[in-house]
Amino acid sequence: MIRSSEDIIIRTVSRVLVPFIQLFALYVIAHGHYSPGGGFQGGVILGASLVLLLITYGPKETRRHISEKSVTVFSSLGVLIYSGIGVICLLLLGNYLDYGKLSGILHVAPAEARALGILGIEIGVGFTVMAIMFSIFFDISSGGKPPEDEKE
Amino acid sequence: MSTFFLVIGLGLCILVFFVLYRVVFGPGVFNRIAAISAIGTKTLIILLIMGFVYGRVEMFVDISLVYALLNFIGVLAASKFLEMEKEL
Repeated sequence: MIRSSEDIIIRTVSRVLVPFIQLFALYVIAHGHYSPGGGFQGGVILGASLVLLLITYGPKETRRHISEKSVTVFSSLGVLIYSGIGVICLLLLGNYLDYGKLSGILHVAPAEARALGILGIEIGVGFTVMAIMFSIFFDISSGGKPPEDEKE
Repeated sequence: MSTFFLVIGLGLCILVFFVLYRVVFGPGVFNRIAAISAIGTKTLIILLIMGFVYGRVEMFVDISLVYALLNFIGVLAASKFLEMEKEL
């Protein structure tokens, strides 16, 4: 089980660094088409910020920020966004994930609708990857045992 | 100018192997962790130099930022693991 760190340097550095890591992850997700990156890479960076929080502040403090319930919600929400965009394209008489058809409901040109559709897909992938990365690390580090204060 | 950066990058690549010796044969775990951190820093600089050589620095700056962040978190996780395993 990971205990929280008492070292003031590590605590301060990670407290300052975590918001910037998350901001950079959002940048990587949003600029996936121009620069290297995309949904998966941004999600991994978001998950890395949560892992940094976990190895610095311990599981109890981290659970206060992102609970087991919100991990489940985020990981399902990403899949819902991904498959939801695909099914919307199906309902608009296109193929699965045929973003060009989204121009009918977004009221933009088909090329712009493709860009927006890909951005939506990447946001969904980012949510799921973040939640699953954090969940894998948390479950391995805690040995699969639930903490005492979270038995309901 | 591109040749200059190429030579500097190749020199850094050779220096990585000297640090790799410390990772493989280094006495004790702390030497190894410090050497891995040094290799991460060198890789970051090599990535930026590759960006200069290819003429796309703005792309490689993103990659090297991610590399720096993950290097920091990795070293922190390794030292945390050592703290848990007292007998090492």
